[in-house]
Order: sequence, then structure tokens, then C-alpha cells
Amino acid sequence: MPRDFIPGHLEPETPANTVSYFVREAIRRIWITKRTSFVSVAMIAISLFILGGFMLLSENLEAAVTRWQGRSRVNVFLDTDATPDQIRAVDAYLGSHPDLRARRFITREQAMARFKSYFANLSGVVDQLDENPFPPSFQIEVTPAIAQSRAFKEEMKSLRAMTAIEQVQFDWEWLTRLRRIIDVVNAVGLTAGGILALAAAFTIANVIRLTMLTYREEIEIMRLVGATERIIRGPFLIEGILQGTLGGILAVGLLFGAFELARHVLAPSSTMLWGFLFVSFLPLQKIAAIVVGGTVAGWFGSWLSVRERAAEDA
Amino acid sequence: MIHFYHVTKKFDRYSTALHDVTFHIEKGEFIFLTGPSGAGKSTLLKLILRQMRPSEGQIVVNGRNLNAMRRSQLPYFRREIGMVFQDFKLIERMTVFENLSFILTVLNVPPKEHKRRAYQTLRAVNLHHKLNSYPLQLSGGEQQRVAIARALINDPLVLIADEPTGNLDPELAQEIVQIFAEANLRGSTVLLATHDRDLVQGTGRRSIVLEHGQLTEERPATPARPPREGAVFGMR
Ligand SMILES: Nc1ncnc2c1ncn2[C@@H]1O[C@H](COP(=O)(O)OP(=O)(O)OP(=O)(O)O)[C@@H](O)[C@H]1O
Ligand SMILES: [Mg+2]
Repeated sequence: MPRDFIPGHLEPETPANTVSYFVREAIRRIWITKRTSFVSVAMIAISLFILGGFMLLSENLEAAVTRWQGRSRVNVFLDTDATPDQIRAVDAYLGSHPDLRARRFITREQAMARFKSYFANLSGVVDQLDENPFPPSFQIEVTPAIAQSRAFKEEMKSLRAMTAIEQVQFDWEWLTRLRRIIDVVNAVGLTAGGILALAAAFTIANVIRLTMLTYREEIEIMRLVGATERIIRGPFLIEGILQGTLGGILAVGLLFGAFELARHVLAPSSTMLWGFLFVSFLPLQKIAAIVVGGTVAGWFGSWLSVRERAAEDA
Repeated sequence: MIHFYHVTKKFDRYSTALHDVTFHIEKGEFIFLTGPSGAGKSTLLKLILRQMRPSEGQIVVNGRNLNAMRRSQLPYFRREIGMVFQDFKLIERMTVFENLSFILTVLNVPPKEHKRRAYQTLRAVNLHHKLNSYPLQLSGGEQQRVAIARALINDPLVLIADEPTGNLDPELAQEIVQIFAEANLRGSTVLLATHDRDLVQGTGRRSIVLEHGQLTEERPATPARPPREGAVFGMR
């Protein structure tokens, strides 16, 4: 039976009844315009791949920093020709300081042996030298908390002033420098990835704008039979969201592939210097962030194109 | 139900598609709109659906003043009207079933009911075997019947048909008119535009006649043949 007419009575669609239609339609439209859809997905994937690459780089740098910080180490290099007395004096000095007590003496021979084992291909060069170029040193383990304290800095200063001490080196000086590098990496990655993602969103917007043009007649029919703008635009929005999400997933896949490749092929063949960059892949939250980034870019692109048609219509 | 007050529609300065048309259709009526080709029948129907606005005059449909209706209300208004377009306006990319399913989606019918509803409605126009065909794979008459099925599917308050028998042989045309009569009995107000006078004659239904955009005649329902079921069935 026809419903009785209630003036001004509006009956909004329930999402449950329309969402499945949206998704079906969106998938169908993506399929019909396979090639252009692929371009959209690829654009998103590439920009997120680059963004993800930077994220991966900073992730591993970050991990290295924390790893090294866990065992902060001070190297006290003595003069090459330091006398045993002088060495004993330094040892006594270190022993009298609670913060510096965990010390280990490294002889010149041990230093050379260690160098040879680290840089095997350079050992020949070292052998040709008349004299062992490595100075004796003390290796002091300190906790990160102490290393960061102000008092410790002062101690280092007075240690440097002692005779027979050539150089005092501590890791965290360049760790802080590394931190600054990480910040730059993050900033560059976010900027580049953001700009690219925006470009990808505009690509999606243009593709959808074209699709809407080819569907113009059909959209007109839909309006005539009482379809709301929500129903008409829904599939286009979902189309963008699906493309974006697909791009995000593809980006993560590519990133993982590239990461594994680098870890198994690149890293072992070169020196250990690179090894630390390929230790861990992105954590789950960041993977999710990349995929969601794709979703958002896709949604934004389709929203841009869909939002436009508001004027028109009699 | 449908009220026209001095409605004029001009497409440009020189031609007037409708001129000062006034008429009233009450709830539950079954009425024919006739007139020669180019008389303005389609234009009048388009005005009812608010596919276009009149140049002058007022139109009230289902208690709504179309001139004053907000655009946000338009979709909901149109859902109360089942329209069979002269050019069918089927979505070519979709199968017959999908065309109907789309309407049901628009009408907020749960998806699991779509199959049954579509089949039922198609049965009424004897096209249930073409559920999975695309419109372009159908003959003109078959497409027309799909368009009719789409208009009927929700028992609309107002059922409007623009030349719904144009592509059908006389026998099938009578069957279609009967389908509209049944919808009318279920409560839909029916307005049927046709230039086929044979279709109108003998039904005893009220009809309004357009000529050159002007309402020239209003024939009341023949008292001897009241607009009952029998009026239509008697023609077979
Ligand atoms: N969009 C338009 N722009 C300009 N003129 C139009 C437009 N639509 C219709 N007309 C004109 O208005 C007049 C009435 O057209 P309409 O389509 O309403 O006739 P009709 O009675 O439906 O004819 P038919 O029986 O052939 O369908 C015609 O002269 C037509 O040329
Ligand atoms: Mg016409």
C-alpha cells in the first residue's frame, strides 16, 4: 500500500542499506577504469613508499641510538708513549671516581688486534707500518643517566687536563648529532611524502572527476528517481578511499620487499657500517599509519571532486 | 494531489510549451493526458517531477508547493512519485535487476529483499525471465516494461507515465493499462500521458487534452462507466 503522505516527512537512508551498494559500485567502477585506477593507486603507493622509506630510515637510526645509549662508553686515549707510571696514575684517578670505576685497560697490541678484526681488508696496511700506531686506552662503561648529567661533563673536563691523556671521547657526542640527523630525516620524509601524497590525491580527484563526467547521464537518472546526493556520491567516495587504501597497502608491501632485499643482499656484502640501518622493519603502528595515510589521501581526493557539483540541477 | 495554477512554460522567448494551464487531480484518480505530438505532455510531466520549473504559475504536488520546495527535499519528494519516462531512462550499465535494486536502495529497502521485490514486480510486467539482461539487450517494448516495473516497485503515491504504451502492440498496451489500473486500486493516483486516443476511449476515465500547450478539453469520467476495475477489464 502507498504510504500516507506526511508533509515534510523525510526518510534518510540507513547506512546498512547503502554501504554494500557503495562498495559494490566502487569496486565495479575501479574495475571498469582499470588503467586509470591503477595510475591513482600507483601514485599513492609511490608517495607513501617514499614517506615510508624515510620512516624506516629514522626508525633504524633511532633504534641504533637507543642501542648505543644503553651502553654508553668513554674512551680515554693515552699518549702513545705514555710510561707505565703515567698509566698507573690515570688508573688510580679513575678508580677513585665512583662514576668512572668500571674501567678496562686496552693495550696498544689489543687495540691493533681489534682494528685488524674490524677492518680485515686494512690489516695489510697496518702490518706495513714500522710502529704500532694505536695508543693505549681505558674503556669506561657508564650508565646513560650518569653520562647525561652536568657533573659528569665537568669530570670529563678535568680528565682531559691530566698529563699523558691524549683524548677523551664519548659516544653520546655524536649520538646527539645523530639525533639531529634523525630529525632532519623525519622532516624531509614528512615533507616529501606529504607533497607527493597531496599530488596523488589531486590525481585521484581528477580521475574521479572524469568518471563523474562519463556517468553524468546516469547521475541525472538517479536524481530523477529520488536518489540523494549521498547515494550518488557514496560510490565515488568509496572508490577514492579504496584506491588510497590499496595504494597504502602496496606501499607497505614494496617497502617490506625493499627492506628485505637490502638486509639480505646489500648489507652483508658491504661493511658493517650499513648493517645497523636494516635491523628492524617498521612497527605495526607505523605500518597502519601508512595505510591510513593512503586511505585519507584517497578520501581527500574523491571528496575534492565530489564536493564540486553542487550548483547545477534545476 | 496534483494541482496546476496558471502554469506557463517557455523554453525561449518565441516558443511556449505550456500556456496558462490550470487543472486539478484528486487523490486516487486515474486520469489520461492526451494531445498530439509536441502538445506539451512531456513538459507537463517534467514539471510535476520538478525536472524543470515553470516560467509562471504554481504547482502543488502531494501537498508540496514545487516553487517553494527546498532542494534538499527534492529526492524525498521524487520517491513518492513513480515515473515512467518517455525515453525510459534506464541505467544502461546495470542489468534489469540492478536497475530495480538501485531504486530499492534509494527507497531504503534492505538488500536481502531486493531479489524478491524485483522478481515480483517484473512478473507483473511479464519480464521476470530478463532479470539479468542489460537494457540494450532488450527490445524497445521490453525496456519500456522495465521502466514501468521500476515506477511500480514501491507502490508510489503518484504514478506518472509518459507514453508507456508507445512501443507496445495494442494487446500488450491494454495489459499495461490494466497494470496501472491495479496500482490505482491499490491506492496510487495515476496520470497517464498518451497520444493514443484508442487507449483512452471507452475506459470511461477522466482525461485532459493538450493542444499547442493549451488545455483545450477536460472530459469527465463517463458516468455510465465509472472508473472501477471493470472499466478496464471490460476492454479485454
Ligand atoms: N528542453 C527543451 N528546449 C526547448 N524546447 C523544448 C524542450 N522540451 C520540449 N520543447 C518543446 O516544447 C514543446 C512540447 O514538447 P513535449 O515534449 O512536451 O511534447 P509532447 O506532447 O510530449 O510530444 P510527444 O507526444 O511527441 O512526446 C515542443 O514544441 C518541444 O519542441
Ligand atoms: Mg512526450
